[in-house]
Amino acid sequence: MSLSRMWKVLRKDLALGPRSPIFLWAIILPFALTLILQVAFGSLFDPQPRLGIVDDGDSYITESVTDMDGVDVTLLEDEAELKRLVEENDLDAGLILPAGFDDAVRDGERPELQFFIGGESYASNRIILTVTTLDLVREIEGSEAPVVVDIVNFGDAGLPISIRLVPVIVFYALVIAGLFVPGSNLVEEKEHGTLMAMLVTPVKTADVLVAKWLLGVLLASVMAVASLALNGVLGSNWFEVILVVIVAAMLSAALGVVAGVFAKDSSIMFGIVKGAGIFLFAPAIFYVFPEWPQWIAKLFPLYWIIEPIWQVSVMGESIGTVTGELAIALGITAALGVLAAWLARRMQAQMAAQ
Amino acid sequence: MSEPAIQVQDLHYAYGDLQAVKGISFDVQPGEILGFLGPNGAGKSTTIKMLTGQLTPQKGTARILGKDVTKDDPEVQAQIGVCFEEKNLYLNMTALENLDFFASLFGIKDADSLEVLRRVGLADRAKDRVSSFSKGMRQRMMISRAFINKPRVLFLDEPTDGLDPVTSAAIRKTIKEEAERGAAVLLTTHDMFEADELSDRVAFINEGEVVALDTPESLKLKYGTRSVKVRLRNGEDVREERFEIDAEGASARLAELAASPNLMTIHTEEATLEQIFIQLTGRGLEG
Repeated sequence: MSLSRMWKVLRKDLALGPRSPIFLWAIILPFALTLILQVAFGSLFDPQPRLGIVDDGDSYITESVTDMDGVDVTLLEDEAELKRLVEENDLDAGLILPAGFDDAVRDGERPELQFFIGGESYASNRIILTVTTLDLVREIEGSEAPVVVDIVNFGDAGLPISIRLVPVIVFYALVIAGLFVPGSNLVEEKEHGTLMAMLVTPVKTADVLVAKWLLGVLLASVMAVASLALNGVLGSNWFEVILVVIVAAMLSAALGVVAGVFAKDSSIMFGIVKGAGIFLFAPAIFYVFPEWPQWIAKLFPLYWIIEPIWQVSVMGESIGTVTGELAIALGITAALGVLAAWLARRMQAQMAAQ
Repeated sequence: MSEPAIQVQDLHYAYGDLQAVKGISFDVQPGEILGFLGPNGAGKSTTIKMLTGQLTPQKGTARILGKDVTKDDPEVQAQIGVCFEEKNLYLNMTALENLDFFASLFGIKDADSLEVLRRVGLADRAKDRVSSFSKGMRQRMMISRAFINKPRVLFLDEPTDGLDPVTSAAIRKTIKEEAERGAAVLLTTHDMFEADELSDRVAFINEGEVVALDTPESLKLKYGTRSVKVRLRNGEDVREERFEIDAEGASARLAELAASPNLMTIHTEEATLEQIFIQLTGRGLEG
């Protein structure tokens, strides 16, 4: 095996990638899935309440509302500009906080607070901004709410469905880019005879197979990380997330190489992916339905790569909590490597006999 | 005589119960073109596959540049060029990209791929994708790819199969140039004219065995008959007379016909390689 020859084959595959529909599909799919699932279940296009503030002092309200997630705050200098933006529906609401407003509230002077509402704004945004502002004024005043609100959750208090769907999106990124791209690429080389053309040069079968595997690892890693980032779960521990994603991509690409070596032609390759699809996809479903017995997911090979991504990326755990899963994933990858090497000898004999 | 570039001794290969190659032996010297002549299924391609490392011989020995082919030595692979019968090019790559890629696999850093394309008349299409090429152009690409590493041993499997006469002639010219450069060429073909024109020696392969191996001239002398065909005007018609040169009274008859006022043409004729093949095997080359 030669690193130089592997790199030459890999470089060729990367250069030809944009000319391949399957390669392009692998890149587009995670973005398309994220978009579709976020539109259906998430908050991608939910408009955030937009509040404009003209603060002549340093009000606690301005500071607090600026720190809040979910409110889009614009600070302005000019009252006329604020009114214009609200009138033109560029802001849902506008707030004018005169100098010394906070002190006046604390002293019980009941100062006038000008609060403009855009006529075309969403009712939900108006309510959010109004209640938020009144709550903050009450905090400045130091008074307690006149009622005790008893909050009762209906349904599970678990993660929102948009987050529970992340394993599904990551699964597709890993399987299409990691499994299908190298597998179909290898089958295509067999069908077109270009694999045989390479094998009568100094290139060895192992050079080609490792290059295809690296293609899958690279593409699946990039697409899985992009999918996590798109769904907002690539947290501050991004380095650890990337490590578990690379392990996942290694296993996925090894499956792809085995499928590619085994399949004689494209129709068999598609048959393998379609036939094995539910077997591979199964562990991702258990994250969508957390009430199902979770131990069943462990029976499927891709559980050992989805679970570390879930724990480290979505749940924010450290990589140390999933070392067992990662070790199993690496073990499966090594076993697939041995299987690929064994199948490769059979593949070469089949090609020569054609 | 220098060491043969290709040495094959008692080579055997079977696909299951089908014995494709049964004890083939031959050698090819540097600069020599050996024509491998035989019908489909005779064992020609199986022999090439063993010599290029695609199949492992089940019995016998095969050496390329003195090294055992079963050792899978990259140094040997770097010295061979293969033109497959199947046009296995990267269709999504340009002609230049195809050659540059294969040159890189041979470890050639500054390959003059454009010059190689110029030799086969494809320089003006260097930046076009191979998918847009005609059958003849793809075949010329196959030849140019086999030449990209300036190989010391060339395996050419039906290099002009199905091509027009002009393209075929151009390809034959480049094959001769490679042999003149010093490459040993194993040319597999079932085209007797191509084998006759290009080959220094010809091996007849039938049912996995070499049934004859010699220069085309020697084979014709050994197995063929020399004859003369004379065409004479006969009123409104044309009459043909054919007789063997070596037959008794042939010289006198030829002199008589040559003096005839009705003489139109005289042609000498010799046996073709196909006729000799049929004579030796009882079957034609197209079978």
